[in-house]
Amino acid sequence: MQLFIGGACSGRRALVAGRFPTANWHRLTAGEEVDGWLRSHRPGLPLVVTGWLDWLQAVLVEQSDDKALRGMWRSILDALTDAERMADTPVVLILDEMGRGVVPMTSELRRLRDLNGWLVQDAAAACEAIWYVRHGLVQRLEARESRG
Amino acid sequence: MITFVSGGARSGKSRHAEALALSSHAERGGRLIYLATAQACDVEMAERIARHRHERGDDWHTLEAPLALDTAMAKVVGGDTVLLDCLTLWSSQWLYAGGGNEAEGETMLMRVLESVRARRITLVVVSNDLNEGLPPQDSETWRYLAFLQRLHCLLARKADSVVEVVAGFPLEWASSEETPI
Repeated sequence: MQLFIGGACSGRRALVAGRFPTANWHRLTAGEEVDGWLRSHRPGLPLVVTGWLDWLQAVLVEQSDDKALRGMWRSILDALTDAERMADTPVVLILDEMGRGVVPMTSELRRLRDLNGWLVQDAAAACEAIWYVRHGLVQRLEARESRG
Repeated sequence: MITFVSGGARSGKSRHAEALALSSHAERGGRLIYLATAQACDVEMAERIARHRHERGDDWHTLEAPLALDTAMAKVVGGDTVLLDCLTLWSSQWLYAGGGNEAEGETMLMRVLESVRARRITLVVVSNDLNEGLPPQDSETWRYLAFLQRLHCLLARKADSVVEVVAGFPLEWASSEETPI
């Protein structure tokens, strides 16, 4: 899987559309079973998955347990990883960088910001390539060896 | 030569942009021009503008461009070096003080960049990175952020050099694959 991360209106969609012109795009919806919409995707074509922040905003209202929420998005990531491996479907995730502003005033927004950060980290851990998009330009992020 | 410098608040982006402009001026000659987008809307702002102008020193000519970037740039000639500081302020004035529409604002910036390229002017543009915090909670702020980001993407696409400044350190982003204007 590949992850494209960037701030609001950073140009991620245009960039992904340019790199994967034949891709199917799926916008996540709260309450929708991942196996169901994955079955409708044609194997072999790239699949771009968007709408993670809206999905998170919707599901966190119903679920107060953050660990359970993390389990929900991990099961989606696992299903996408399996789909890529078994159906020869390159999967591309588009997620939001939103952790660099001032601390939000309300506890709901602070929770959303925290959860989004963990979601991004979990998604990055599941991806082979992570791309940071800024003002329409892109850089690949790569881990460096720790020097102790 | 077009350089786009951006970063967070107090990241050192203006200082870096000024150093780039001074270096270009020393190399190419011509005039050193500060394209000021700030408007003196109250006494404190007037004092701030005067203080910055004094700190820049006598080497700099100042052109005011709170709205009409193209009119101000028409006074610049080939070989001059221009520092535009900052695009964030210009974009908010364009939408809210000038009542300009977004498409016209983007067209004006595009025309300025084309003119700079054609007349061999060195232009350094400074702006704020505002889009990596919590997404706006109201539609008007979304509109402003989307407008500013379209300007940023346009600049990044057309610039020869795109620089992110963090804690005073410039990080060079690879230039885009697009052929310069």
